[in-house]
Amino acid sequence: MAGLAAGTIAAENGLETLMLRTGQSATAYSSGAIDIIGYPPEGLALKEYLPDTEVPFKTPSDGLRAILTLFPFHPYGIIGFGADDDKVVESVIAHVKESISWLKERLAGSCAALIGGFERNIYPITVLGTTKPTCLIQETMWSETLNANPDNVLIFAGFRGHAEFNALSTTRAYLENQLRTGKPPHKVGHCVLEISPFGKPYNISSIELARHFDHDGSMVDLAAAIKKHVDQLGATHVAIPPVLGIEQALQNKAELQKELGVEVFELVALPPSVPGFRLQRAMDRTFKNAGGTLLIGHQARSAIFKNDMIESVVAQSPRREVTISPKTVILASGKFIGGGLEADENGIRETVLDLMPVTTNLHPAEEVRPVYHTNVFSLSPDGHAVLGAGLAVDMDFRPIDADGVERAKNLFCAGSILAKYNYSLEKSGLGVALSTGLAAGRNAARMAKEVS
Amino acid sequence: MTEEEAFEFVKNTLKEERITPYHKNEIEIVHSVEGCINCGLCINHCPVVAAVGVDRFTGPRSIAVELSRSPPEFWSTADKIYLCTGCGTCREVCPKNVNVPEVVNLVRARIFEHRPDLVPKGLHMVREIIVEHNLAFEPWEDPEEKVESRDVRLERLDIPYTEDIIKKNAEVLFYPGCQAEERAQEVREAAKVVLNYFDVDYTLLDDMSCCGLPSALMGDDETSQRLAGLLKEKVAGLGVKKVVTTCAGCTSNISDISLQDQWSIPVYHMVEYLAEEVGLDRLKQALGSSKEFSEVTVTVHDPCHLIRHTSRRTMQDAIEILKVISGVKVAISEAEDSCCGGGGLVAYHSKDVADSVVQENLISIDKTGAERLVAPCPLCTAQIEANLFKSGSSVEVDDLMVFIAQRLPKK
Ligand SMILES: Cc1cc2nc3c(=O)[nH]c(=O)nc-3n(C[C@H](O)[C@H](O)[C@H](O)COP(=O)(O)OP(=O)(O)OC[C@H]3O[C@@H](n4cnc5c(N)ncnc54)[C@H](O)[C@@H]3O)c2cc1C
Ligand code: SF4
Ligand code: SF4
Repeated sequence: MAGLAAGTIAAENGLETLMLRTGQSATAYSSGAIDIIGYPPEGLALKEYLPDTEVPFKTPSDGLRAILTLFPFHPYGIIGFGADDDKVVESVIAHVKESISWLKERLAGSCAALIGGFERNIYPITVLGTTKPTCLIQETMWSETLNANPDNVLIFAGFRGHAEFNALSTTRAYLENQLRTGKPPHKVGHCVLEISPFGKPYNISSIELARHFDHDGSMVDLAAAIKKHVDQLGATHVAIPPVLGIEQALQNKAELQKELGVEVFELVALPPSVPGFRLQRAMDRTFKNAGGTLLIGHQARSAIFKNDMIESVVAQSPRREVTISPKTVILASGKFIGGGLEADENGIRETVLDLMPVTTNLHPAEEVRPVYHTNVFSLSPDGHAVLGAGLAVDMDFRPIDADGVERAKNLFCAGSILAKYNYSLEKSGLGVALSTGLAAGRNAARMAKEVS
Repeated sequence: MTEEEAFEFVKNTLKEERITPYHKNEIEIVHSVEGCINCGLCINHCPVVAAVGVDRFTGPRSIAVELSRSPPEFWSTADKIYLCTGCGTCREVCPKNVNVPEVVNLVRARIFEHRPDLVPKGLHMVREIIVEHNLAFEPWEDPEEKVESRDVRLERLDIPYTEDIIKKNAEVLFYPGCQAEERAQEVREAAKVVLNYFDVDYTLLDDMSCCGLPSALMGDDETSQRLAGLLKEKVAGLGVKKVVTTCAGCTSNISDISLQDQWSIPVYHMVEYLAEEVGLDRLKQALGSSKEFSEVTVTVHDPCHLIRHTSRRTMQDAIEILKVISGVKVAISEAEDSCCGGGGLVAYHSKDVADSVVQENLISIDKTGAERLVAPCPLCTAQIEANLFKSGSSVEVDDLMVFIAQRLPKK
């Protein structure tokens, strides 16, 4: 996400932009929902200093204010570094708001069209029957009226042989949650549909269903299969796992709603999800439509530095090596999953340019044993500090060394390679990647224009 | 027991257990599997899974986390492992660079060695041809018929015939590959026309032999290594400085073996050679002003062996070349880089799978509204052409070299 956002904005600024990519990563894994900020990085600090702020944050604005107050070196904070002291918060909020609008505009009409906004966090239902705070979801996941009426009846519809979703256990988990919170809907049922893309009622994957539903006419059978359950239970809403199609999901949702006369929406899925696939595909297209060149299958391996600038970047494909000499470079290689960072018993390493990584407390991390920065419980509200490791940057998103000096004047970075950004804990993943990507992309574009 | 005796003992035990130790050059591939985080991202992209479902072909994740893990049990994967087209899509999307297509070859090699009875019959037939003729296709029985077939093709396509050049110390060895040598002869001839037009100092082999890729893909490592060695000898004997080929599979395979066997000369696909060595300016001069051909919208197919096994830059070169040809409009298909199903020798034993894989391409090709499809590989061209024809599509198909040779001014 960070690289594509940065590349797209640079290309939109009229620059010749080349993106190297080896493998897909966290963006493709994601649920396709864009989190801005759901939780503070350290819950206790928030309770102590901002006791009145509700968690999970009700609005991105609440979250950003809390983060900027308590953790000024969080990547969201860096966006505001150039602003006057009393305008930092407002400038960050304005940038994030603008980033959201930018993304929504670019993805409008695409297979990953988004709904939601900066005014509030929303709580879509996941395939586990839980809810998750997020800011934007794909339109296919949206239900306008689910929580509006206590008489609403929701059905979770699964598919026989589709092991990635169990409608019964989702129903149980969801009902438990509804009983605890007292929120509607209170009437929830489930059903299992007999739809099989390859004629066998077992071993069916999400992507097969999604591809199947991209075919013309596939909604007729699906609508017929759901209809009897809707009629039987008097359902007003139908929730299905996010498999309504890759390209056709939104049209399919509309067609189903028309046929059934009830609201239909997709759930938020576990990785790697079909909506994550849609998001990656739509972002790739956005970048290419802006004029960018995407060189997939090329791994940036090293760079040649001259004085305080990067002169060229060397990349490797399966059987070729290419050398690129750009005016500016943006490093958006992700964290441990993306491959931007690597860790072993000797310490943490930045993989492409051997830059200095820091811990979440901004201490050099080259010799830090990751095991000391993990929690004993794998699932803990405090998360794992090691996931907050990354690069420290200056106010322009240029990586800096231990003396605070930028490694190269024309090198910028963005996204999850940044330190003090623990997205799994904060639920800030794609939001930080987007916002910092746009900021770094603009800075790099400005510099490229200046040096030409 | 001495150390040597112990080593021999272990080796024999392994043999009894039907385990072949990994060679040095396989270790990296095996280690790549250790990086697999079992995320399943690759399944979403595998064209065979998309075509036939995970029940028939369990997909790349299953190859990485299950099928590759137990050498004595490799034979039990035979109903799945031969369905991989080796397209490399999984490796390209994998965040951990797991080299699934090479793992597939490695497993196939063990099955070939220990349980040849489980290797699909179609592959044994190809093997017999290769072993007998050093070519992946049965040579023409009657050389005159071969010439006749070539001439008919050239006449239909309006491509002139030029004499073969075979000489020592040329700058370039033009290596057409088995398909263009025996079947799609027009591609071989078209490439000669192109090389001649741009005054490239080239030679052909006096005795064409396979580069060894098909043997490697079926697991017959011994033959594949023999053929690689034979080609190395021939190349060294000719004293050429570069190798240029028109086949995508040959490009990736010869790039690989030339590196491993230290040929110390660069290997190019023709599109790379034209873009880098001949240059777009000269191509534009030659192709940019002809009025002879009516305007045409073309779409392209990206061969897996070029984009995913060599470099995606190759297809950028191909598009740049097409763009300098007068009257040519390029319409990119949504599935331009999707496997045509022709790889991995799948069509030799499971044609239904290969033909299901190509369906996605056909739909997207039709959507472009293009009148013609070009591909820089005679194998992909044949696979797509046959399936477009079967589907009743009016889109015509050409190898890129044929398309270019037709449009070059006659010298
Ligand atoms: C399982 C999972 C689920 C998630 N779900 C959500 C969610 O629902 N909502 C949300 O908002 N966030 C979610 N996140 C977090 C979010 O996905 C990440 O924060 C965000 O995608 C980070 O984006 P990025 O661009 O910085 O990195 P990435 O998306 O990881 O991209 C980094 C890219 O750099 C490439 N790369 C790395 N090294 C090189 C190199 N040397 N040369 C060339 N290319 C290279 C990688 O291949 C990759 O394509 C999730 C994360 C995970 C892991
Ligand atoms: S091979 Fe790669 S993409 Fe596939 S499951 Fe393993 S890590 Fe994920
Ligand atoms: S190489 Fe292609 S066909 Fe084989 S497993 Fe990978 S994606 Fe599937």
